[in-house]
Amino acid sequence: MSKFIGFDNYVRLFLDPNYITPIYNTIIWTVFATVFPVAIGFLFAYSMQFLPRSNYFQILVYLPATVSAAAAGVLFGFILDKSGLINQILSLIGYDHLVRDWLFRAPENTYSMIGAYTWQTTGINMMIFIVGLQGMPKEQLEAAKIDGAKGLTLVFKIVIPMIMPYFVIASLLALINSFRVFDQVWVMTQGGPGRYSEVLAVTMYREGFVLFDLGYAASVAVLISLVGLVFSYFYLRSVLVKEDVGN
Amino acid sequence: MNYKTIERIKIVTGLSAMAIIVMAWLYPVFFLVVNANKTASQYAKGDKTEIIWGTSIIDNAITAWNKGIGDGVLNSLLYGFAGSALAVFFAFIAAYGIVRLKIKNGLIWFLIIYSGTVFPFQMYLLPLFEAYVAIGIYNTKIGLILVYVGLCIPFATFVLRGFFLTVPWEIQEAAKIEGASNFQILYKIMLPMAKAPLLLVFLIQFTWIWNDLLFGMVLSRSVGVRPITTVLTGMKDLYASMDGPTILTATVMASIPTLLIFLLLQKHFIRGLTLGSMNAGKG
Repeated sequence: MSKFIGFDNYVRLFLDPNYITPIYNTIIWTVFATVFPVAIGFLFAYSMQFLPRSNYFQILVYLPATVSAAAAGVLFGFILDKSGLINQILSLIGYDHLVRDWLFRAPENTYSMIGAYTWQTTGINMMIFIVGLQGMPKEQLEAAKIDGAKGLTLVFKIVIPMIMPYFVIASLLALINSFRVFDQVWVMTQGGPGRYSEVLAVTMYREGFVLFDLGYAASVAVLISLVGLVFSYFYLRSVLVKEDVGN
Repeated sequence: MNYKTIERIKIVTGLSAMAIIVMAWLYPVFFLVVNANKTASQYAKGDKTEIIWGTSIIDNAITAWNKGIGDGVLNSLLYGFAGSALAVFFAFIAAYGIVRLKIKNGLIWFLIIYSGTVFPFQMYLLPLFEAYVAIGIYNTKIGLILVYVGLCIPFATFVLRGFFLTVPWEIQEAAKIEGASNFQILYKIMLPMAKAPLLLVFLIQFTWIWNDLLFGMVLSRSVGVRPITTVLTGMKDLYASMDGPTILTATVMASIPTLLIFLLLQKHFIRGLTLGSMNAGKG
């Protein structure tokens, strides 16, 4: 029977220099894999408002979200490969100095994977904003237009404040999911080379199911869960508040 | 130019711009399909953007099927159908009891079931793994079906509870007066009315199970048990023995079922999926 060692595993998590990288990468993921999908999702949703028959476009933009993260990860593994599509296009248009082994160099690997992740999750954010924009009171919008608001002013001063609850929901949801991202990273780099692109969920899997240090893996799982629960609390609160307003 | 013409030009410009953006957006899918239809040497030496007309994809599909994808597809179909159907069945009964039979502390029961979506799934992995090993269902089909049923019940209960809340009470009271039992009301009255939400929940959960990687990786090991996602990502590890187009073809095969479900239902499905992904626990 294993013996109880108090908080040793938690202390190790924060003191061992090996785990600075996963913690740092997780923060990078949480920030960028939230900002990009939410922002691009909003841009798609907002521009669709002005187009007839935009539902066809919506379906196409949403398409990547229907395949598994595993399949998308394998696909982007080929696209980002040393002799893959990205590098071929880069040398074709004369940017040879940018050609590199995208998944085997830090920090390029983390940012490339965030790009692939953005491709997959933007559709969900777009749909959240489309629901939000459809429910927006049209009179207020028209009034603002008559008052002369247009372009970016209209977007930032009128539209975004009006659909703020949807921004909160989309962002919190993106935070929850990007903080515990696993599939994409595991499939594309397994956290490598070394641990350069490792995130906490990968650390947990590696410690638990590759190195079989279950105690340490459990402490990482607890950390992920605690932070996740904090995000979830705010998320559920904002969803429930919105439902109350709706009723 | 009059106002109408200007508006029309604006719309055409907008549509063209969006069409170009969407084509660029879907370029990875084009890359996937085009390169899956190549032979190993065509892919290795050639231009990745070049279309080669031919039937290499069929040979690739046969190779992939025989190298594990076949087992993966059959396993995932089993997990998807059994896991989702059982989850929907239990959730249907639970939601019926909570909403229509007004069982004591119904809301608390609902919250207990629904809490399954609040915790990040990573939290379940280690305890599940140890428990599965201890009771001997690690690396078994039954084990995977069980975990998928458990993970799918909260969301299914959430949606079906919503359905039962919308059914008029008069119907139930009328049936009661006619002497129908609770079970008969569920089976003869509610079930036919609930066909649409039941199908929707079933397909959403099927998609989720089909796309799951983490639980397949943690709870299964051998070819006869592993789901499609785990087989697919495993193929990539064995780079040397598997050529690019075969793995890309396997990726296409792993994506077809969920893609078909999506295209079949489109709008309903997007709503449902968005709702599903808005359940905090699922990543």
